[in-house]
Amino acid sequence: MIFTTFSYFLFLIPAALLFRATGPWFRPWVLVASGVLFFLYFSVTEFAGWMGAACIAIFIWEALLSRFYTSRSRWCLLGVAVSVGILAVFKYWNFLTGLATAGGANRWAWHGAFLPLGISFFTFEFIHYAVDRYHSRVERGTLGEYLAFIFFFPTLVAGPIKRFQYFVTGLRSPSRDWPLDWNRGITRILVGLVKKFGVADVLSSLTVHLNAADIPHASRPVLLLWLLAYAGKIYFDFSAYSDIAIGSGRLFGFAIPENFDWPYFRTNIADFWRNWHRSLTRWLTDYVFIPLGGSRAGRWRVSANVMTTMLVSGLWHGASLNFLVWGAWHGGLLVIHRWWVTRRGSRPAAPPTALGRFSSWAATFAAVTCGWAFFAMDLPTAALYFRQLIFG
Amino acid sequence: MNLLRRLKDLADYVAGCTDTPPPGVSIGVASWAWALWWGALGLFVLVFCGQATKFIYVDF
Repeated sequence: MIFTTFSYFLFLIPAALLFRATGPWFRPWVLVASGVLFFLYFSVTEFAGWMGAACIAIFIWEALLSRFYTSRSRWCLLGVAVSVGILAVFKYWNFLTGLATAGGANRWAWHGAFLPLGISFFTFEFIHYAVDRYHSRVERGTLGEYLAFIFFFPTLVAGPIKRFQYFVTGLRSPSRDWPLDWNRGITRILVGLVKKFGVADVLSSLTVHLNAADIPHASRPVLLLWLLAYAGKIYFDFSAYSDIAIGSGRLFGFAIPENFDWPYFRTNIADFWRNWHRSLTRWLTDYVFIPLGGSRAGRWRVSANVMTTMLVSGLWHGASLNFLVWGAWHGGLLVIHRWWVTRRGSRPAAPPTALGRFSSWAATFAAVTCGWAFFAMDLPTAALYFRQLIFG
Repeated sequence: MNLLRRLKDLADYVAGCTDTPPPGVSIGVASWAWALWWGALGLFVLVFCGQATKFIYVDF
């Protein structure tokens, strides 16, 4: 559970106090030591046990390799390749070998497969640093600073995905406004806990029914209620997590990137994605969409870039086909929205009416909520859900 | 829309997302109001904390 355990807070507060009490040279090492302890403790007690804890070797390897990163060097490319490789082996091995042996028994299946704590997030931070070093967009920093960046425990497990250039600035001169930082940090953490316990976990009593056994027996309104509950649950669950991570960072004096800004109130799908899991959206834009060519291409190429980026996003969320379909769903919505904006671009813009704004919001919310069906259920169950919803 | 904007700003401040209070709100960081607010939030957490599920995004 990590953020919802009492031990987390017993760990967080002394670490934050120690960090604030020490001098500039020692500060990074406080974060490294606390991050290592955090990773080992939660790996052993809640995740993959000592096998998971052994994955600390990944961080040590990454820290050593990162010392060789220079502008336009092949070490950076090796760093990216290794990070992608680590993620592929731990997270996608059985999925990919299963696809390769479709229809037959998977002879290459890894039966003891496990996920190292936070692998989906820390590999993205590794890739960011390697790519930005390659392009000279980020300074090298000291070994201690880089280790502090990758071991910073409030964001280690599930983000928000940080950037080294901003993190290191905070590390060298953290905020000194104790009263404000602790007021905002404690408030943020408590609000996060309320969101998680009081809303997301309560909604679980409805979302638990999104399975092949319960769906055939449910009426349309109930099916809709379950999916709406899932839309609420995933927002309150992940924004709660982000709140606690950001609030925890604030206790140290760090400004952690925001992840959510009222996404369900947005009136188009592009705006939704600018405000939903923002640190991931920005990462995908910088390290997938722009390298593919971004928006500086013909209409079809841009559409392909958008779709590819969202497919990567889908696959990153989970190693199964339903996440790929979820990514394709959002890719399709974003492509349609781009075409719509381009088509309307030649017309004089009229101020939006209240009805127009409401229609845009309703369409966006409905599209996003439909998409959650692919996120919450495997493909056969999602198909059954929509069949039951449409045909009864 | 102005009312919605003001409510959003107030909610962001009360939830700890922004540092400066919206216009018309004068609750400083040292106010006793925060202690009461934290007490209410803490009570809410205590009431609901017996049924925690795994965070969705914690390595799925």
